[in-house]
Amino acid sequence: MHFHESVLIDTVDGFHCKTYSNHHPEGKIIVKPKYIPSDIIKGEGLKRRFIFSRCMTRLNLFAKKEKVNDNINQLRKRFPDYFLDTGSTWFFVIPKDKIMKVHDPRQGLKELLEVPRKDLDNYLLAVVDLIELLTKSGVKKQDLGITHSTLMGNYTPGISDIDMIIFGKENGWKILDFLKTATHPKLKWKTRGEWIRYYQEHRTAESGHFTEEEYADHMLKKFYEGTFDGNVFTLFTVEEPDEMWNDFDAESYEPQGTAEVEGTVTDDHDSIVRPACYKIEGNVIGKDIKVKQVVTYSLPFMHQARKGDRIKACGLLEKVTPKDGDQYHRLTIGYFDAYTTDRREKEYLKVT
Amino acid sequence: MHFYESSIITTKDGLYCQSYANEHPINAILVKPKYIPTDIIHSDAFQYRFISGKRMNRLNLWADRKKLTSYIKAFKEQYPEYVFHSDMHQGRRLFFQVPLDRIERIYFPKTGLTDMMKMPPGQMDPHLKTCHEFVGFLLNSGLELKDLGITYSTLMGHYSSKKSDINIVVYGKENYWKLMEFLKQAQHQKLRWKTEEEWLDYHKRRNRFKVFSEKDFLFLKQRIRSEGFFDDTLFVIFAVEKEDEIRSKWGSEKFVDQGIAKIRATVADNHDSTVRPGRYKVKEYKVLEGGKTGGKAVDDLTGVVFYSRDYSMLAEPGELIEARGILEKVEPKKGKPYHRLVVGYFDSYTNDRHEYIKVIL
Repeated sequence: MHFHESVLIDTVDGFHCKTYSNHHPEGKIIVKPKYIPSDIIKGEGLKRRFIFSRCMTRLNLFAKKEKVNDNINQLRKRFPDYFLDTGSTWFFVIPKDKIMKVHDPRQGLKELLEVPRKDLDNYLLAVVDLIELLTKSGVKKQDLGITHSTLMGNYTPGISDIDMIIFGKENGWKILDFLKTATHPKLKWKTRGEWIRYYQEHRTAESGHFTEEEYADHMLKKFYEGTFDGNVFTLFTVEEPDEMWNDFDAESYEPQGTAEVEGTVTDDHDSIVRPACYKIEGNVIGKDIKVKQVVTYSLPFMHQARKGDRIKACGLLEKVTPKDGDQYHRLTIGYFDAYTTDRREKEYLKVT
Repeated sequence: MHFYESSIITTKDGLYCQSYANEHPINAILVKPKYIPTDIIHSDAFQYRFISGKRMNRLNLWADRKKLTSYIKAFKEQYPEYVFHSDMHQGRRLFFQVPLDRIERIYFPKTGLTDMMKMPPGQMDPHLKTCHEFVGFLLNSGLELKDLGITYSTLMGHYSSKKSDINIVVYGKENYWKLMEFLKQAQHQKLRWKTEEEWLDYHKRRNRFKVFSEKDFLFLKQRIRSEGFFDDTLFVIFAVEKEDEIRSKWGSEKFVDQGIAKIRATVADNHDSTVRPGRYKVKEYKVLEGGKTGGKAVDDLTGVVFYSRDYSMLAEPGELIEARGILEKVEPKKGKPYHRLVVGYFDSYTNDRHEYIKVIL
């Protein structure tokens, strides 16, 4: 079943979630809970925010692993309906009957663009001007949306990111290509030096697999994150229903353990959506197991490699059994369970 | 039915409303629509705001009267279920309501503040830190956290640091007066009151205060302690009535329109002037205009009632006020009829009744 990724959903239990895939099991939506009412989980070690009259805990999968485990266990015990066990892994899900409100990114942007400029603050003016710039790529306003705090209106000017959605992979590629050469007085990209500084200040489990220079090399090739009028912006491309590279219910997955894979990217078209997919010709390092796909739910590894690139990656090796067709192997990075196990530090995807 | 004033209600039709009284009919909550989606009706007479993914008009009762009148007419046509027909007023007064089955969510100021105060201070943004510290300071008055709430943009989460006000709700009139007494003397390095210049600028920008000379306006506003700055953020403190403080239950009285009247009266009691609707009990009054029933001058006027917070605590007992509004004969189900003057029903904003209350100094 299709449902756009990066869409905000409030649930009847007070959770604020973001959709975390474009492909979903029937009757449920795969999400990442962003904020959970603080009276529901203790949330030790996690940040709190006061949002829409409630003290909410921001679920951070990069917090200390024991804490992540503890928080997830608390949630699972009290809200088992929000978990889907697939045999291979598990997902946070919202059963459809638990949806209270879906915040429509497209409609939100449409409404924003109708507000007279005189009634917009500097942050929203930057959003409107950035949209104007993006449409110079040839992508229509109707194919763009806004999400997260930009949509909800609880942004902090000068601090909050501008989060935008591009509907459709063709449109996503069009904009990313356009931004390679686009110029605008308010548009800035981090320089190599800035990316290196960023690496030094924001070392995460993922970046640990890269040297400073390697990290900067990868980031300089990406154009989904920059600054506009001093505000960080992030572009999320989402799949339209007729573009889905996968259907959740069309295959089953059997975990084969953590593995390291190397290969050559033969198709990167689906690498800019969540989950992203790189078609590769490759195999498990040191073993005679052919691998056809590297899949990632993790944003830092999206748009990471291009067609023809030689890559190395570590994640969960899965045997895929399609309802129609032959079995094959794929490597998946960024399943939720990775954040609660040693795999979190092991997973990566890099161009060699 | 009791329901606290100054709570925020979002509706299934996308309206953001503020409860506008403490006593309500059985099946609805009387409100003022604060933000109204612009997809069905809109007006350039109002400011546009982008809230929760929607372009909204902020209803401003002081906007150009012609445009306001035409907007309200369109509102009544497009949102008929949000207009309350009061039999108690023979349908002559305009009230807005949220029918109970149209409520999407209620934001309660008290629970909002309680939750906000649970936030670890290190994780608050500057606006919330200021709110947190300000509330902590107010608690020195002897009030407890359960006596306070927070409302409007801070409660809803669409505030902007250093721009948005802090709007504090105090539960109970007694508590409110206690807090006002405390604020008369209290000191804090981050607390300051509006300067003459700031009040005069406020006076200049709001036509509705033109009934006061600058000198009188300054005198009246500078003695009020419900509005000031804390850490350079404007704060406004409101009172809401507890259920046991309500003067009369909805439906227990009928209000018969006796036309426009202008009176001068001595304030006997301003205790109820802190809430919405507020009231000054009066004595020794003189009718300057209208005010006759059956050819006879009204001789049983007991008070002046108002809906606008501009008149809260404006006058003190013993002071002379002048007021213009709708004279109503109040017919209680039990007890003797009497008269009152009402200033600021919603329909007063769309005509030239020129309603006001001023203190004659």
